[in-house]
Amino acid sequence: MTAAATATLEVRGLMKEYPGVKALKGVDFDVRRGEVHCLLGPNGAGKSTLIKCVSGAVAPTAGEILLDGEPLPVGDPAASLRRGVATIYQELDLVDELTVAQSIFLAHEPRRGPFLDLERMRREAAELLARLGHEKIDPRRKIGQLRPAAQQIVSIARALSHDVRLLIMDEPSAILDDGEIETLFEVVRRLTADGVAVVYISHRLDEIRRIGDRVTVLSDGRTSATGLPASTPTDELVELMVGRAVEQLFPQRPRPAGDVVLDVRGLRRLPDVRSVSLQVRAGEVVGLGGLVGSGRTELLRLIYGLDRPDAGEVLIDGRRLAPGSPSRAIAAGLGLAPEDRKSQGLVLDWSLTKNVSLADLGHFQRGLLNVRAERAATREQLRRLQTVPDDGERVVRELSGGNQQKVVLARWLLRDCRVLLLDEPTRGVDVATKAELYRVITDLAAAGVAVLVVSSELPELIGICTRVLVMREGELVFEAEGDRTSERELLRHAVAPIETADLIEEVR
Amino acid sequence: MTTTPVTDGGAPAPTEPLTERRLAGFRLQDYALLIVVIVLFVVGAILKPDTFPTWDNVRNMLTQASVVGVLAIGMTFVIATAGIDLSVGSVLAAAGMFGGILVDPEGSTLLFIAGAVAFATALGSINAIAVAYGRVVPFIATLAMFSIARGIALLLNDKLPVGLLELNGGSFGDPAAFSLMWFGTGRIFGIPVSVYVFLGIVVAGWIVLNRTRYGRYVVAVGGNREAARIAGVPVRRTILSVYVLSGLLAGVAAVLLCARLGSASPVSGNLYELDAIGAVVIGGTSLAGGRATIVGTFLGVITFALIFSLMTQLDLSTEVQQVVKGAIVLGAVLLQRPEARL
Repeated sequence: MTAAATATLEVRGLMKEYPGVKALKGVDFDVRRGEVHCLLGPNGAGKSTLIKCVSGAVAPTAGEILLDGEPLPVGDPAASLRRGVATIYQELDLVDELTVAQSIFLAHEPRRGPFLDLERMRREAAELLARLGHEKIDPRRKIGQLRPAAQQIVSIARALSHDVRLLIMDEPSAILDDGEIETLFEVVRRLTADGVAVVYISHRLDEIRRIGDRVTVLSDGRTSATGLPASTPTDELVELMVGRAVEQLFPQRPRPAGDVVLDVRGLRRLPDVRSVSLQVRAGEVVGLGGLVGSGRTELLRLIYGLDRPDAGEVLIDGRRLAPGSPSRAIAAGLGLAPEDRKSQGLVLDWSLTKNVSLADLGHFQRGLLNVRAERAATREQLRRLQTVPDDGERVVRELSGGNQQKVVLARWLLRDCRVLLLDEPTRGVDVATKAELYRVITDLAAAGVAVLVVSSELPELIGICTRVLVMREGELVFEAEGDRTSERELLRHAVAPIETADLIEEVR
Repeated sequence: MTTTPVTDGGAPAPTEPLTERRLAGFRLQDYALLIVVIVLFVVGAILKPDTFPTWDNVRNMLTQASVVGVLAIGMTFVIATAGIDLSVGSVLAAAGMFGGILVDPEGSTLLFIAGAVAFATALGSINAIAVAYGRVVPFIATLAMFSIARGIALLLNDKLPVGLLELNGGSFGDPAAFSLMWFGTGRIFGIPVSVYVFLGIVVAGWIVLNRTRYGRYVVAVGGNREAARIAGVPVRRTILSVYVLSGLLAGVAAVLLCARLGSASPVSGNLYELDAIGAVVIGGTSLAGGRATIVGTFLGVITFALIFSLMTQLDLSTEVQQVVKGAIVLGAVLLQRPEARL
């Protein structure tokens, strides 16, 4: 394969400077026709800026971007799209109320005279979905009725409707479970077989080996290596990303010690959770695996009182917790780091200090709030978690995902919570920060906190948990010691005995 | 392609702003309104050097500003939760009329105040329940109350105003301390009592919003309702409370207005809600919730008062005043847009 002859995308010396900060300091890489080129790098390395430059969302300060050897107009997303550059963002930009066909042809609807040609729209939508191997998705169905995996397929179909030459996928797997990821990869393989070039961004190194052809690593706004084979050893990639070796991804596994702190008895809320019982001891990290939609998040919400159970009860230290009240749950010693930090965990326009203290303001109120004590106490927790920056006056929106997660954790550290419920705590977090979060979680357990962690990353469950439970269709179906199970075993129990293709079709 | 160097014409990208810049920007935006206030005052002093920069004029402006000012403080709390209260002008009128009926033909100042404030609070509570528990969109719930309260105000005395001078012995002159007119025209150290009431509510509002757990909850609910709930904030109770508070302060505003006019009128307070909302918004409180500033609201109220005073002294018609006021609201909000936020 000669790169020069078949390069779909060439990026040369790309720089992007924002007032006071250089986001890109010189990035070079090329993507060949029909290849999946993975882009790796820690949060803040410039991946997002890079893809924004290529997709035309922002104009670079210097450097060149060539598509099929021709310069791509800069800072003009519509022109990039016309030339065949399509981007699928991590947060799906679909509208729940639109149908599949409407979503695919949004803003370029086929028309007959001044009117929409609905029949053609439906027919072509069906053709595009069939090309992706998902003819089962009904073009007339509303987006909100589809599962995230199917929504992603619709996003890809939308990209294809533009006659795509280069498809950029920004962490497409973040919201998918393993079965769904395999479906996604099937689609990607079909596209590359058609000659489409794919830029694939992910923090999950195992995926890169499964789908990637070559890898480019970004670090601090520069290409630290490009064109590496996908088989490059993990240690080497991590070292390129962070500029140093991460000593150990998973810390010492916590040993169970204390009494049962969290006791869940027969908790049920149909249709998501069907009679779940589990116990977590002080000092234990219990993992909750399973496919997306298996009821894990819903179970955490029930325990925490965000939803009311149909039946069952939660006991903390043997005392029954009043159902349906997060504030009572917090008073009893619970804390929750929700699945979506941005929409559920944080007030993004607030300072770090205010976000950390929100659940514990009573502590600082003697008549009036003592803001000085508040600042000092929250800063102590932020420092303990090595949050960057630890300046309490900074606005949370500006922090990277991993550091935002630390802000949420600092909130519960401040409260000295006894039971910590973590929902996908490392989603969208780079490897180095993941290792830090793992250490924080195990340290908390070592200090006697009972931790229940939901994760779709099996290595993570196996790596940090004392015990791992697997949920399927609202029930616990499997339990194992963390050091005596395997990804294969967990996955086998997690996958329902129906085919992957059907999973996607299932309405929420 | 040779794009060296391409200049990025736009503002900094939304995802990668600079704290220093942003903080500096925010401060500039805060000062922007203060600068507007100073400029308006200087312009007034230049155009009308004999009448504008005088103690009498400042006193008049503050007195007139106090009624809408009190409403605007309540409105700041409501808007901080991402809500809106369109009913305050009507509630003000209904509260004044209710108090007026209570003391007609005879009664005490205390009875008037208690009646007006209690009635306004009750109407505000209906808003509160509709929004917090009935889950009616604030705009609609308070739009309904806008109509209901105005209707009540007109029904209470068959569309007629109620005279309140009896509470002061039948005349305006030199009101006794704590009589109703004293709240409207009385002075302490040369400053009208109503101005003390207004400033007191501004200070109390600032303290509650910035230095109490409750105030933090109010802004948290507006900033991210779901995150607030997960952090243990009693979301519904907080939302409930701001509409009750807004109603209560509409009652206080009714007392100040009736005390100054010596009567309660069923058509008073017309469109005051728009002045209150305008003052809050040009002050920098976000209609989307999550960001609220009492100082900004105060400056917004003062800005309106200055415009009104200046234009009246320049003999400009109320129609021209409306145009200018609207233009200033639009201009101030455009100036205060956080940069590069879509």
